[in-house]
Amino acid sequence: MNNSAASVALTAHLALLSSISFGGFPTVLPDVRDFVVITHGWMTDREFSNFFALAQTVPGPNMILMMTFVGWKVWGIVGAIVSAVATFGPACILYFIAYRLWDRFRAAPWQRIVRAALVPVTVGLIIASGAVMARTADTGWQAAAVTAAATVLMLQRKLDPVVLLVSGGVLGGLGLL
Amino acid sequence: MPNDRKIPDHVPLTSLFTAFLRVSLLGFGGGLVWAHRIVVEQRQWTTEDEFTDILSLCQFMPGPNVVGIGVCVGAKLRGAIGTIAAISGFVLLPCLIGFCLGLLYLEYAHLAVFRNILGGVSAVAAGMLIATGIRMLLPFRSRPVALIVAALAFGGMAFTRLPLLAVLFGVALLSLAATRVEAARAR
Repeated sequence: MNNSAASVALTAHLALLSSISFGGFPTVLPDVRDFVVITHGWMTDREFSNFFALAQTVPGPNMILMMTFVGWKVWGIVGAIVSAVATFGPACILYFIAYRLWDRFRAAPWQRIVRAALVPVTVGLIIASGAVMARTADTGWQAAAVTAAATVLMLQRKLDPVVLLVSGGVLGGLGLL
Repeated sequence: MPNDRKIPDHVPLTSLFTAFLRVSLLGFGGGLVWAHRIVVEQRQWTTEDEFTDILSLCQFMPGPNVVGIGVCVGAKLRGAIGTIAAISGFVLLPCLIGFCLGLLYLEYAHLAVFRNILGGVSAVAAGMLIATGIRMLLPFRSRPVALIVAALAFGGMAFTRLPLLAVLFGVALLSLAATRVEAARAR
């Protein structure tokens, strides 16, 4: 397969996965890995997981960014751009249509029940994501203390979150965590 | 209440663009914390309720969830063109910057100080995400059913090895059933 054909295959596959990634793009990551590492051998497992770690530590939309690296590996800068668009494009169209429909039936009684039922699930999952992130980030009690302090300070709204992030970076950079 | 929601007067497209640019660039480990802070607390483009609604809608849809917040907030304020402004801010520049930073990082990945700084930032980011979740939970203090559902979703995701999709839809169905009973009783 030449490069442009590879890129088209990757784009189509990403667009498909984006449209079925209920619960967020990370849920289809294993499938992306199978496609690019095992089926096509475009990169090694090591490279794939490096891209993941990279996207997690750089600010910005992580999953879209990770797919730009995957696309870049397959077909340079063009691959990077089309992979990014394939990752968020189809989902954006779906979000837009869903929001319009949701908005139209705003006053319907069934929607009040659905809303009251689904919102707590969302909130539970968000706190869980924070806990899972803490488990990966907190390598010792010092880091766990930093996470706890950040939680409390953020709840009190006394400090700008940027100050919190920078302080965390400084503590880490000084080798204290 | 959702029915008396207000749409702020003619928000400029550039504000949408820069707001979601900030959400994206400041959002280490996911932009949710900043989306909440900027959209609800600073600009007051949506109420707390509306924001949680939008987030739930996105959570139960395919795709990168935080992008969905941009799509919905943009659509609410300015329609399709608002969506495009918000998404451009969220994706274009941040991806370019992230891509360049990433290439640099791959070059210097062996330097321990880099990893340490990022480790400290991640520890703070985790705490910020937990705090945002707790704040969103506050309106449900008086609804035991909602608190139990949130606890189940939390436990299912944090402490079991079940796939996210199973937790999401399993707890959602349970919650729908419980909420219907709750609503019937209240009547």
